[in-house]
Amino acid sequence: MLKRALLPALALGALAGCGIFGGGPHREHYPDARIDPFKGVEGDVGFSDTIQYWRTEADLQRHAALAEKPAEQWKLNWKHMDLDRIELHPGHLAVDEGQALVKKLAARDPAFLACLGEGSADLKGKAAAYPKFDAALGRIVTVEDRIEHCAKRVLKEDLPQGKPSNTKISVYFKSQSAGTPIGVDLSDGNVMEAYRRGEELFYRKTGQLNFACASCHVPGSIMGHKLRGETPTTPFGDAAHYPTYRTPVGALESIQERFARCHGQMRTQALKPGDPAYADLEVFMTVLSNGYPVSVPSAR
Amino acid sequence: MKRLVLLAAVLQGLTFAGAAAAQGAAVPDYSAFPCLSHTLPCGELAAREPVRKELEGPLDGNAARGKQTAFARNRGNCLACHVMPGGSQPGSRGPDLSHFGSTGRSTAETFAMVWDMRTVNPETLMPPFGTNAVLTEQELRDVVAFLLSLK
Repeated sequence: MLKRALLPALALGALAGCGIFGGGPHREHYPDARIDPFKGVEGDVGFSDTIQYWRTEADLQRHAALAEKPAEQWKLNWKHMDLDRIELHPGHLAVDEGQALVKKLAARDPAFLACLGEGSADLKGKAAAYPKFDAALGRIVTVEDRIEHCAKRVLKEDLPQGKPSNTKISVYFKSQSAGTPIGVDLSDGNVMEAYRRGEELFYRKTGQLNFACASCHVPGSIMGHKLRGETPTTPFGDAAHYPTYRTPVGALESIQERFARCHGQMRTQALKPGDPAYADLEVFMTVLSNGYPVSVPSAR
Repeated sequence: MKRLVLLAAVLQGLTFAGAAAAQGAAVPDYSAFPCLSHTLPCGELAAREPVRKELEGPLDGNAARGKQTAFARNRGNCLACHVMPGGSQPGSRGPDLSHFGSTGRSTAETFAMVWDMRTVNPETLMPPFGTNAVLTEQELRDVVAFLLSLK
């Protein structure tokens, strides 16, 4: 099996851009866009270069007219939707529902809230540091994973990632950091390793259509071009608004549920929210939002 | 105005989600192809290597059927990336194919390209329609007939 996989890898290494990530099965990768993780969201400069239109609210206001131009709307990176201070959409309702759920669960045992806040009941600003490496658990933990873990450990209750109640609590948890710049800690070696794994996944071609995330989301790919009715945007700044209320599907979605939906469209085996590979991909994506404020609740 | 648009989108989304739920669409299984898992077998699967497919016998393709296959979102969906005459919401990343039949490409060459474009351009974004069995050989023969008819 290994031999069979290696031979074509050697033969096609130069052709398919594989081999840049080392051994293992013959994998094809989209060419590396050489993102510098330490630049955070500013890595979009020289990448899609659209950040000039959406970096701040003032930038968005100044370029608001792009929203009405079909060929250029993608440059706003959908951030113009964050300017709609509409308090009716289900993203906002989820904050209240999530808060009510947390209250209810904390009433059963206050340790639940202390577990969410890692020792304190105050969640303010804390979500901005996620995903992070949890030394006690020995793994990368996302906000949704923390919620699942705390419900199980403190309350013996199943609140699996991807379940609406988990996502609603996540929206509430993250809304407590709204406006706080995202700061995934790259000085933690375990986080850096997860970033590198997520980076490899971002470029790896998968599924029946042989697409990578990068096939649509790096310069030179489909990004900025029409893909039938859609125009794929930059991955920078994207993780900041998840979980979000997705208007095209009429549901709240965590970023990992979004990965799964993308994979279905790419005809790739979707993974369950909470899968370690999706956690790595979330680390990669969130590092690309480092320095950009948490923007939850939101609609897209 | 913006609020109305968003509200309309929300309502439309709800309708769409309701319809999808009513159909109870099964989740297709793509585990025969590479995936991103660290643990499932598909995470260790090799990508299918590029195949230079020779066209055997006469093309025997039906251009009208090929057009349907090329346009259908759940079949070729060539419009995702290419402009083709009569197609709605075409993509813009791939070359405009409006006059493909006048570019001097041979039937065999065209067949090899749609079967697996990686044999022509290793960094192509185009799915290997034949190698990965996205379309059947007859469907690809039909698509080739359609492409060559675009003068």
